[in-house]
Amino acid sequence: MTQAPLTGNGRPADTRGGAGARGWLGRLDRDVRTALALFAISFGLVIASRVLGPNFGSLAQMKAILVISCFLMVVAFGQQMVILLGGLDLSVASMMTLGGVLAFKWVGGSDGAVLWGVPAILAVTAALGALSGAGVSLLKIPPFIMTLAMGVILYGATLGFTQGTPSGQPSAPLSALFANTAFGTPILYLMVLAVVAGCFVQTRTSFGRKVYALGTNPTAAYVAALPVHRLTIATYAISGASAGLAGILMLGYVRGVTLTLGQSYLLPSVAAVVVGGTSIIGGRGIYAGAAAGAVLLTTLSTIVDSLGIAEGWRTIIYGAVIFAALVLLRDDLAQLLGRRRRTQETSQNNP
Amino acid sequence: MKPRKFLKYGALALSAAVALGAGAARAQTPPKKFKVYLSMSYSGNGYQTETSNLIKALAATPPYDKLVDLKTVISGTDVQAQAAAYQSMVSAGADAIITFPISSTGLNRAIHEACEKHVLVYTYSATVTEPCARTVSYITAGFAPNTAQWLVNKLNGKGKVFIDRGVAGNSVDKMNYDGAMSVFGKYPGIKVVAEYYGMWNSQTTQQETAKALAAHPDVDAIFGENGEDGIVSAMLASGMKKLVPVTGENTNGFRLALANPALRKRGLDGISSGDPINVAGYAFKLMMEELLGKRKVTVHNIEYPLPWVPADKVKVCTGDTFVNGCNAFPSGKVPDSFNTEVFDPVLTPELSLNSALHGTPTPGATIQPLPAGIVKEAPNVPGVNCQHCKAPADLFKLTKVVATVKP
Repeated sequence: MTQAPLTGNGRPADTRGGAGARGWLGRLDRDVRTALALFAISFGLVIASRVLGPNFGSLAQMKAILVISCFLMVVAFGQQMVILLGGLDLSVASMMTLGGVLAFKWVGGSDGAVLWGVPAILAVTAALGALSGAGVSLLKIPPFIMTLAMGVILYGATLGFTQGTPSGQPSAPLSALFANTAFGTPILYLMVLAVVAGCFVQTRTSFGRKVYALGTNPTAAYVAALPVHRLTIATYAISGASAGLAGILMLGYVRGVTLTLGQSYLLPSVAAVVVGGTSIIGGRGIYAGAAAGAVLLTTLSTIVDSLGIAEGWRTIIYGAVIFAALVLLRDDLAQLLGRRRRTQETSQNNP
Repeated sequence: MKPRKFLKYGALALSAAVALGAGAARAQTPPKKFKVYLSMSYSGNGYQTETSNLIKALAATPPYDKLVDLKTVISGTDVQAQAAAYQSMVSAGADAIITFPISSTGLNRAIHEACEKHVLVYTYSATVTEPCARTVSYITAGFAPNTAQWLVNKLNGKGKVFIDRGVAGNSVDKMNYDGAMSVFGKYPGIKVVAEYYGMWNSQTTQQETAKALAAHPDVDAIFGENGEDGIVSAMLASGMKKLVPVTGENTNGFRLALANPALRKRGLDGISSGDPINVAGYAFKLMMEELLGKRKVTVHNIEYPLPWVPADKVKVCTGDTFVNGCNAFPSGKVPDSFNTEVFDPVLTPELSLNSALHGTPTPGATIQPLPAGIVKEAPNVPGVNCQHCKAPADLFKLTKVVATVKP
């Protein structure tokens, strides 16, 4: 992973020129290629699973997988922003639970409450995220410790606040996002929009570019007079808000919340980001990759779960495939292959 | 330590006798309170909160409000932490500990030490293998074999089935699974096409069921455990036109779905059974009767009767108490994941919905004694409620249904 600074300028805007004229795939940015490859692997896995049974690989199955992966996709956005910065957010699980619990309390029952309730919850979770960011940036507390502490405190607060049993009502407008309509399921369209918007924020806004710059080389960013504190605080706030949003969406899907709502998303959120081609030390990767990583992880667990084998083996297979994906998508492997191809091309051109 | 304990017991027994016998003497010497500790391993799900609320409500119901000083300790999911909590309770002078044990074997030593100091230890819902403790649980009451057989009967012995399990590696999960397979395994026509872990919560259950439904939309029935309201939600979200029979535990959402005529018309049917919240209430009353010397409990394992509510027996309550045999609450009153078995007209008539939700006593209620011959000894299950023991051959016998289909 230490090659990141070398290819650290491998962001969309920077590599475009260097790709040369090796077909349309070659002209695409490396990160976009990773994302496309991951989507293709997911699609291929679903198709390949047809051998398992007549109903595998159906359109209904693909749709179900996409719908279930939306929560991980949303959490992964915030997690990725923080990782791009060179940090890590371990409070996403508690933040997600908090989002769900607050939505259950504030938004549920009345349709109009979505209009003020959702922004209010996003504001609360963003503020709490900002608090983590402030700890990391101003007090120089390591992100691991700061967000772990934040997560534990938030969990405790949610537990105390609800006394173990969250109270509230399901929300009809939120549930409508997951309903089947004549034009498909609304959440699927929103997911596409979210991926486009996420990539736009990262690669086409000044804020996004500064996050990459800060993640690639904090010292250089500081020397270049980037607003390091503000950037860090804002990025952790985004992570808080996206985890909160995932919790809100979960209420729409499940129509109820538990205090363990976010628990199963903490490590997968990091896994989706890393599988999606983002450097764990920051500075490189785009959201399309993380989103594709989320879809791949969900696809995998769906298919592995349906294999009808013992839980121990399922977990081993799940882990092995993630490992294989990481190895296959490694940068130096791509570089190695690229170099070999270039060598071949050179030798062909100079007989 | 010991003589002081005896003195205390003597004083307590005396004060209890005085309280029972002559009302006139009561005013002069207020009865000394028993120190009772409620030890929970973790909190954070509805089940844990509701069970502890029932105990708190009973401890605040007269005359226990004058006899019991109840303290709650939540020690987390770590076995060592709960063992340490027991030890602290004993050193703090506990008379009794009522607990949800995190492990069936890991706490034995701490429990044994408590027993040696004459502290009464009761576990509810989950069990321990240490013989000096009393365990009160539904585990052995046959939830899994009975509901599985009901499904087989419903399917006429032929069809594709999902098994929604609990938490991998948990002894209750294994017991439920073995119980279900003891029935399904007998019928070659029953194909278990998917088996997944719903973690006993509605959210995971819904997600896992949705995944399984995507791969097997032609499923004929689903065997569920706690969180089964998620199974119904997943079926509804998947756009299935025809719903399939589901068995599960006691969530309010599931019972309401079973009582919903529109869903019944689409094919939903089922049994609501399994782990009752009220097991905590029953355990506490039994423990108090033993502590007060009103009852001699001689068995280690005590079985709680299995709740059994078929779809046509679901009746939605109009008020906050279970009157006229109602057994579910309107959806606005409690969340779908609320466990409805919070009350039993024989075992705990003192309780109401508010007891389960807030831990408050029912206004005007007083503690009613448990019926004389109520204690039913539970069968042995090695590793679950006894060590070096053998499970009876008929552990998974059918008690609520008869097999109407021949294997």
